[in-house]
Parts: sequence; structure tokens; C-alpha cells
Amino acid sequence: MSVEAIFVMATFTAPEEIGVNPQSMLWLLPLAAAIAVVYKATKLPTIKARNFIKEAVILFGSIIVFIIITALALYTLARLITE
Amino acid sequence: MARPSKESRTLLMLIVGLLAWLVPGAGHFVLKEKKRSIIIFATIALTFSVGIYVGSIGVIDLFGSTPWYVVLAQVMNSPMVVLLGRLTTGPAYPVYSQPNEIGQIYTSTAGLLNLLCIVNAVYLAHLRSAETAGE
Repeated sequence: MSVEAIFVMATFTAPEEIGVNPQSMLWLLPLAAAIAVVYKATKLPTIKARNFIKEAVILFGSIIVFIIITALALYTLARLITE
Repeated sequence: MARPSKESRTLLMLIVGLLAWLVPGAGHFVLKEKKRSIIIFATIALTFSVGIYVGSIGVIDLFGSTPWYVVLAQVMNSPMVVLLGRLTTGPAYPVYSQPNEIGQIYTSTAGLLNLLCIVNAVYLAHLRSAETAGE
């Protein structure tokens, strides 16, 4: 096994350093993209690149918009309760 | 052409379901849905890989303090996750806090997405065999 392969495998044995900060919320973006892609791969009757990408992007956008709306609603509720 | 019996249709659905669990996308591949199977395999493998990259293979903690529903969702990726879980048993790969949470969320979501694909592949197999039987 080459040194490069061993190095790549070794990166999977120690966790990355990720702080608890607002930027760590960005980790939801790749996850939302994966959900949109797999969901559309199972739901579309035929897979054509252009249509598939369009549908997946629309679903990804919908998920993000819904999360933002939910976050704003919860933030407003928290402000109303605590003030 | 002879119509498939009820037993052979059930066997087809079982094989498709098991293959889809063994390798993400394999269920769709045997049903000649190659584009779908490539997309499913690439996306689920990438999501799972990101999870174990961020949190290390220590996030696959089958016999530790991880909640049972997270373990169940992780195992839905593939039975090979159980082998990985046996490897990580013990204190060799400690992971805590944010990397642990993100790793568990990614690996369990990949497993749940594969569960969706298993169900979809079995349903497609059912539809195909019903078409062949002329129902």
C-alpha cells in the first residue's frame, strides 16, 4: 500500500477540529444537498441530467428556505418569551 | 412466456432489497436503472464518508453509549458498517462534542437515505414483476 493511501486512511481515524460556533451550522448544506439528490433520484420517472439537476436544486432551495423560516419563527418566539 | 409465480416474485423483491442494503444503489442496478444506481451510490457513499471523515470511524459506536436509533440508522448504510463497528469497539478511537454529533448526523442520514432507496428498489421490483405477470 502506498504512503498516500495510508495517509488518506489515517485521516479517517482522528476527528476534525470543529468548534461550536454559528459557522458550524453550514454543515447542514451538504446534508440538505445529499437529501435532495437521493430523493429526486428515487422519485423522478426518468433521469435526464438537465431535468434532474433542476429538480434537485429546487428541492435543495426549498429545504433551505423552510429551515430559514423555521429559524426566524423560533428566534422571534424566543425573543417574545424572554423579553 | 411463462408468468412468474408468486414465490419467484417474492424472491426477486427479497434479493433486490438485500442487494440494495449490501451496496447502496445495487438494488436499482439489478433492475437496469443504472443512472439512478450511480447517483444513489455516489451520494450515499460520499455522505457516509464525510461523516466518518469529520468524526473519525469512532462515530460508528455500535456497542457503546450511542442511542439505538442512531446505530440502527447507521447500519442501514450496509451490513459492512457492523464490521466497522466491531473494529472501533473500545477506547481506540475517541470522539466527542461537535465532530461526534456531525459525524453521527451524516452517517445516520446516509443510512436513512439508503433505507429510502431500499424501499424504492423493492417497490420497483414489485411493479416490474406485476407488469410481467400481467396484473
